[in-house]
Amino acid sequence: MKKLLVVDDEEEICDFLKAFFEEREFDVHTAHSGAQALDSVKSASPQVVLLDVHMPGMDGMSVLRQIKQGYPGVKVIMVTAIETQEKIEEAMRLGADNYITKPLSLEYLEKDVQEKISLLTGKK
Amino acid sequence: MISSKSRVDYQQVVRSISQSMVRLHRPERLLKLILRYLDRDMQVSHAGMMIFKEGREHFIFVGSRGKGRIPASLVKFEKNHPLVTWFSSTKNKKNSVGDYLSYQGLQRNLLEGMKSLPSSIISDWEKTASVMRTLKIELVIPAYFKKDLTGLLLIGPKKSAKAYDADEIGFFEIITKDCAIVVKTTDYQRELHEKNEQLQNHLREIEALRQKEQKTYYEIMRSLASEVYAKDVYTFGHIGQVDRLGYMTAKEMGLDLSGRRKDILSAGLILHDVGKIGIPDHILNKAGRLTEEEWAVMKTHVDKGAKILEPLSDFREVREIVRSHHENYDGSGYPRGLKGEEIPIEARIVAVVDAFHAMVSTRCYSKGRSPEFAFDELKRCAGKQFDPRVVEAFVSAMSREMRKRGVGQMAEAAPI
Repeated sequence: MKKLLVVDDEEEICDFLKAFFEEREFDVHTAHSGAQALDSVKSASPQVVLLDVHMPGMDGMSVLRQIKQGYPGVKVIMVTAIETQEKIEEAMRLGADNYITKPLSLEYLEKDVQEKISLLTGKK
Repeated sequence: MISSKSRVDYQQVVRSISQSMVRLHRPERLLKLILRYLDRDMQVSHAGMMIFKEGREHFIFVGSRGKGRIPASLVKFEKNHPLVTWFSSTKNKKNSVGDYLSYQGLQRNLLEGMKSLPSSIISDWEKTASVMRTLKIELVIPAYFKKDLTGLLLIGPKKSAKAYDADEIGFFEIITKDCAIVVKTTDYQRELHEKNEQLQNHLREIEALRQKEQKTYYEIMRSLASEVYAKDVYTFGHIGQVDRLGYMTAKEMGLDLSGRRKDILSAGLILHDVGKIGIPDHILNKAGRLTEEEWAVMKTHVDKGAKILEPLSDFREVREIVRSHHENYDGSGYPRGLKGEEIPIEARIVAVVDAFHAMVSTRCYSKGRSPEFAFDELKRCAGKQFDPRVVEAFVSAMSREMRKRGVGQMAEAAPI
């Protein structure tokens, strides 16, 4: 089963993406904060994380850093409305596997997630 | 089924909202209100309006409402999205149910066409149906502006789960059309406004630069004119006073001196002899009478002056003044023998002020005359060398000024 974690402080977006990927036979977990996200990475061990940058409390960048430190095998796709060059570069430096800005094309998002999964399974 | 009442309501809503909102350049507000209306007053589970963003080349939501809606901030449609290409490419048109897309209609057509239609079309339709299923869209209504697809109204299933009827679909089509027009018009207005603003800024910059350049050139001319006065030993005069006398005369005559007219007159008065810079000193400062040849050279100073002023495009008229200030009222002057009104009024003023100035100034060959003598001389030549109206105005303005300063100081009052 392909495992995905969706992290966004907007519940509506989490639910929408959960339904979207469940329809595509993913096991989808959701988290609404950075702390929840780190817990879910630990407990659910997703292969791919869709991570919002702008969240109250711990922001996406620190979540990214901690995931990449603790679970280097997990692919992280940043999904955010913030698109300054600095943020993108920072995310890339911290090891983000892609940076997609909202609003996004669902078709592209799906393709990217599938690609990350096949990279992982290909390695195995 | 929509009751006729709700139709009227919608029209009222649109009319009143659009009147206030469109003017405020806020079409998003209008669209959101329309969506709210669909959500609240019609049997629609959710509805979203997408608009094509030119330049970015994709469709984004201007609003999305209701239970099960698509999150507006999350999703965009690229130009190759199945729901966009359905309407932007023509291949599906013949087989579609109308100029809108219905999920149920599409499913029905798929069933019917499965055997008879080419597999490429079937696969296209299946892709489209799958997208609609995922997004829980029952109806897609396109909006066109001219022939371009500019918007999409995405309608979720009816709350009652029944199919939408033709009346309702027709109603959605009207709404969508309205929205597209509102958005397009506002876009155009905004664009036009921005472009106009930019253009105005450029023009202002160019104008500022040009004025600066003209001013610089004018300053150079002015100092050149001072040089001429300094070089010409007859005229130990003060440019400022020539300027003042001329202005006084023009005012006395009631000439229009608003805006640039005053600057043109002033420049003419100040610069009229600037061409003398090109006259050899031995002619310019000759104590005795000039020979015929010398006189011919001397006369060239008017054309020389005009030539010098050529780059001063802001003061094209000044050139004409400089060139014409030795023309006589009766046509006996030089260089062109203009007469009467053919001579610019400013040049006629310069001629009088210049002559007065020559007469009252002490020169190598003659002691300065009294102002009264000069007045008589000007009056004697009025209608021949000078414009009588100018002479009259000059004499009366000058006399008044001398009276103000006191009769005893008359001689001194001649300022140049």
